[in-house]
Amino acid sequence: METGTGVIECELTAQQQRLETLTKALTTRAAIAQTPKQLVWTLNKAKLYRYVPVVPEEQRHPVPLLLVFALMNRPSILDLRPGHSFVEFMVKQGYDVFLLDWGEPGLEDKHLKFDDYVLEALPRAIRKLKAVSGAEEFSMLGWCIGAIITTMYAALRPDDGLKNLILLTAPLDFSNKESITFAKWVDERYIDVDKLLAAFGNMPAEMINYAAKALKPVENYVGNYLRLWDNLDNPQVVEAWRAMNTWVTDNIDMAGGVFRQLIVDLYRHNRLIQGEMVLRGERVDLSRIRANLLAVVADADHITPPCQSQPIMSKVSSPDKELFQVRGGHIGIMAGSGAGKYTWPHIDQWLDPRSA
Amino acid sequence: MSEAKDNKPFDMFESWRGMRDVYMDTWSKAMVDVVNSEAYAQATGTTMDSCLTASAPFREALEKSMVQALKQLGMPTGADFLSLAERLTNLEMRLDDMDAALIRIERLVTALAAAPAAPPRRAARKEKPKVKQSKEAN
Repeated sequence: METGTGVIECELTAQQQRLETLTKALTTRAAIAQTPKQLVWTLNKAKLYRYVPVVPEEQRHPVPLLLVFALMNRPSILDLRPGHSFVEFMVKQGYDVFLLDWGEPGLEDKHLKFDDYVLEALPRAIRKLKAVSGAEEFSMLGWCIGAIITTMYAALRPDDGLKNLILLTAPLDFSNKESITFAKWVDERYIDVDKLLAAFGNMPAEMINYAAKALKPVENYVGNYLRLWDNLDNPQVVEAWRAMNTWVTDNIDMAGGVFRQLIVDLYRHNRLIQGEMVLRGERVDLSRIRANLLAVVADADHITPPCQSQPIMSKVSSPDKELFQVRGGHIGIMAGSGAGKYTWPHIDQWLDPRSA
Repeated sequence: MSEAKDNKPFDMFESWRGMRDVYMDTWSKAMVDVVNSEAYAQATGTTMDSCLTASAPFREALEKSMVQALKQLGMPTGADFLSLAERLTNLEMRLDDMDAALIRIERLVTALAAAPAAPPRRAARKEKPKVKQSKEAN
């Protein structure tokens, strides 16, 4: 009888602990973006950070690395949590790592376009990077819409010192509409972009978040929580889940002007890859890109299918270029459990000899 | 190996989880097909368009009444704040331009300081003024 009571008590305690873990995971925010950094430049909402080096100066690479993330999420995914952070990994490999955080646009920024990001904010940030690091050449890594911005910059300013360009899951070619679910949703028959922006000014973060999750509704709205439930007794999985959930639920609005260009010029008319995109009167000619190029694509990417990233390889003039295909999804290749084994080491191995 | 398998405690939820995962996979694939269809795109677009059209008159009326109320109270409106924010951004840009100019000057000064000192120039000889002997003077 006593044994039976003991078993029940033990089971009740275990269930209570599980519930406490579940409540904590769902209601509290994990400490993300913990790698020490210094703010070196700001302009409007944009901030440029430089990570504090951890290796002796003589072992560091002389060519600094600038990270440029997308516009609708925080860049903290690049520095998710200690022990599982791309930034931390690259700093340990001796890179002088800078991160450009675009910040959250306010209503006063609703007119901001790719023109402003590519030809105003990014060149100014790069100028500061050069001044602070003392280097004339630099490497740049762009991810998702950050990759669109870096690609445009590389094409428009090929002589600005860009030595190495790394594109992660870059949505550049929008011709294969059958494979791009977003392209179907934003078709001009169904969405009136002007009406949407007249109502909101900027594209609301909640709508972007809904759209991203609706691409795989069962995984995002059900499977994600079941995975947490199944692993409540595994602290490592719970912490990883909590960190990712903290990032996923912290979305930001997208400036109205850039959203309009993304939908009309890219998703609908595919102007970038066709060489018809014009920023401030300058045509974005991808053949002007001469920097060493590493394009990373994820084979199971439902947001940016590989067919959107691969065509860049035949458009650029770079003599040194490589297409690297990784198993995983849009975010998983850089922040998933396999990122530290496959994607990050490959980026380091590619960049290392080119950063001398 | 088989002994270890036999010693494993029976988990009555194991088979249930397996069935659940199979069901989830099937459901997930079906839903991906649904959201990838033209019908879904059309339905989403129609719903959003209806919401925007229906809410537009209320939004405009609210905005107008809010602006009037704030003006009567002598308080700044949203447009005033936006204008101020734009001016601040412009100021930031000018500051950034000045920062860039300072960086250029600093580099030039450093380069000049690092350059080897040039040999002192000889003082230019004073040339004797050429006397033109004009015919008229003669």
